[in-house]
Amino acid sequence: MIRRKTLAGQKAGSGSGLSGCVRRALLPLLLAGLGSAAHAETLIIEGALDRDVFEPVLALFQQNNPDITLDYRDRSTLMVDTFARTAKPAPDVVISSAMPWQLALSNEGFSQRVDTEESRQWPAWAKWREELFGFTFEPIVMAYRLDLAAAMQPPSTHQDLLDLLLNHREELQDRVVTYSPLNSGIGDMLSQQDARYTPKMWDLVEAMGQVDAYEAGSSREMLEGLSSGKYWLAYNILGSYAMVWALHHPEVVVQVPNDYSLVMMRTAFVHREAQHPEAAFRFVDFLLSRQGQTVMAGETPLFSVRPDVVGPYTAQRLRDEVGDHLYPIPLNAALLALVDPLRRAAFLKRWQEAMAREE
Amino acid sequence: MAQSLKRSLALWWCVIMFCLGGLLLIEAWASAKRSADQALDGQLEAASLDIAEAIQWPDGSPMLEMPASALQILATRWQERVFYQLIGSQGELITSNTQLPISTRLHQQIRLAPVFANVEFQGSSLRLHGRQVTSAGWETQEPVEVWVAHTTEGREALAQTLVGGTLTRLAMTMLITGLILVFVMRAWLMPIRRLRQVLRGRKLDDYSALRVDVPAELRELTDTLDHLLERQDQHREALLRFIADASHQLRTPLAGLQNSSELALGSTDPERWRQALETIYQASGRTSRLAAQLLNLARLRHQVSQADLQNINLSALVRDSLMEWADRQQARGHDLGAELPEEDIWLQGEAWSLHELIGNLIDNALRYTPENTVITAGISRDAEGVSLWVEDNGPCSETDPQRWIAPFERAGLQGTEGSGLGLAIVASIAERHGAELKLSTRVPQGLRVCVQFPQGGADDQA
Repeated sequence: MIRRKTLAGQKAGSGSGLSGCVRRALLPLLLAGLGSAAHAETLIIEGALDRDVFEPVLALFQQNNPDITLDYRDRSTLMVDTFARTAKPAPDVVISSAMPWQLALSNEGFSQRVDTEESRQWPAWAKWREELFGFTFEPIVMAYRLDLAAAMQPPSTHQDLLDLLLNHREELQDRVVTYSPLNSGIGDMLSQQDARYTPKMWDLVEAMGQVDAYEAGSSREMLEGLSSGKYWLAYNILGSYAMVWALHHPEVVVQVPNDYSLVMMRTAFVHREAQHPEAAFRFVDFLLSRQGQTVMAGETPLFSVRPDVVGPYTAQRLRDEVGDHLYPIPLNAALLALVDPLRRAAFLKRWQEAMAREE
Repeated sequence: MAQSLKRSLALWWCVIMFCLGGLLLIEAWASAKRSADQALDGQLEAASLDIAEAIQWPDGSPMLEMPASALQILATRWQERVFYQLIGSQGELITSNTQLPISTRLHQQIRLAPVFANVEFQGSSLRLHGRQVTSAGWETQEPVEVWVAHTTEGREALAQTLVGGTLTRLAMTMLITGLILVFVMRAWLMPIRRLRQVLRGRKLDDYSALRVDVPAELRELTDTLDHLLERQDQHREALLRFIADASHQLRTPLAGLQNSSELALGSTDPERWRQALETIYQASGRTSRLAAQLLNLARLRHQVSQADLQNINLSALVRDSLMEWADRQQARGHDLGAELPEEDIWLQGEAWSLHELIGNLIDNALRYTPENTVITAGISRDAEGVSLWVEDNGPCSETDPQRWIAPFERAGLQGTEGSGLGLAIVASIAERHGAELKLSTRVPQGLRVCVQFPQGGADDQA
């Protein structure tokens, strides 16, 4: 918890230069524009996105819209999904990194159409039906402790990882962690997506089973385990969190796989039964706006989707650094297959069998 | 008459285009919907086949790794909301992402053939497609119902695009035909315009045939115009001749007047003056009579109108005229008589002109026959109508007296006192009443002038 605070505080400090200017310039304008329409509203956001990571974005939105009271509820992907389906009254905006679940919610009619200037111009590959919008661009990476690098050649591709697990079974016993497909929507999505790309994925799962790999429920859990020395190697971890973590934890090294790297998008939609749709539209519009995306690129590790935004964390910069082997998980109906109960059950069964298999 | 060809043609074009366009639009909308349905039903079918292909029976129960491609096909490029439901033979749910509203009737239909249906679901309309798959397994071969559905936004968008295309084409067609119509109309009306220009540019005394290149349909019109021009030319010729003759006729008595007065002025003898005055008196009498007849003739050239016609007792008219003439000096040496039917004859006519007609005929008979000639005026009625006639038994050398009808013909007797206008006036009056003027010689001698009125008198004359 102490480290999280440091992280948040550092971000706030480092980002104040550029966006501070922007804020000063835009604030009077926005206030003037909103003055007449202003009326107090509470905007309820269910978000599977760490509040301290997201805080700069929320803060700027709050500053731009003093008439809106933000009620941001930071939850797990599973909880967000449950609340979106059942909560009464329904939340206004739903944000989650579990893309298939979000798409399923939207497909089942829990979302409503957003029609704002920003939403219309948003790239087609990052939205679905003008209802669900992917507003970040987060690579999925491997992370390892320096201890591992001392003991062996660190992996840079999926094949390297498999070889490593097979060849250093003794050293890596109980020191590998991956996202749990059982307990996390992201974990499920990532492993299913991996399995879609190559059947060798199952060799990897078996190899992880051989070393009794842990299955973590969140990226933070994996990162904390790496820093504490509990784990040496983390597979399928959110790059956005890991890269920032590594900045302040020199013992952790982030490796974007060189063969292919999945890219995940956080998605947001306005709930069909939103109590405050106007505020919700404004919030989504802000997420997609240049201003919102600039904050994400400068003050959060969420990676801006917009090509016209400059900052340390942008999709463009990531592409420049990593090359063209980024595989964004497409935001389309194919994702629904990943949440098919039968397919999911079969996948988990196979996962568990593979993890438990003894040689 | 004020109706414009252009306007009525344009109106008809609009009506036709409106009706035709309406029909085409209805048809286009229906066919666009059909095409859109066909195109997207194909995707439903492909998705259902894709899913069916993925069903396996590893250990007696169906297993399915939902193919992501099937859902993508199902979503189409319009990103429809997609739904699917797989149902086993006992009605048990295999897998689904929603509870689709599938009626029992659809469940029955699917056993025979794949079905398509439109259903309402959560307030939006869905296109539903189902097929039954019998998959071969080692232990069981149970049929599985595969149901897929998607929203219909894409179909509507596609249909709208298709209709939009048709609409554009229709508008283009209308525009093009409209333009063609304008040009065709111009081309059609060109001969008429040319004709108008020719007519407008014509000199007043030009009665030659129109030399205009016109289409066959207008040929009749130009022929009629040519004919009219020709007739007008003849009429004008006659008029000119008449004026020349009239001037000539007037010049002779006027010259006589001048001579007599000149002679009288050159003399101092009062007796000569008196003779001259007498000559002048007679000559001026003749001249004024001539002038009166010319006036009559000019008057007769106007069209008679229905208002001028009245019911006239022709018998009384003949009787009165004879009485009138019998009292005059000219009739002293002649034997004037009448031959009238017992009952009075009535007909529609113009009183003054008929009176003039009878007067002229009697005057002519008196003027051109020697003394003691028997002159009879009469009316007879037969199947052809009413005849008014005047006959005499005076000498007549002419074999074709019909030619005397022309003005200034004096029955070859140029020396007599007549103006030469009498019969011409008679002919004009007869024409005004639709009657026919016939002159014939009699045996052994004499002349008969007969005015044959058509049946019913002048009733049908305008």
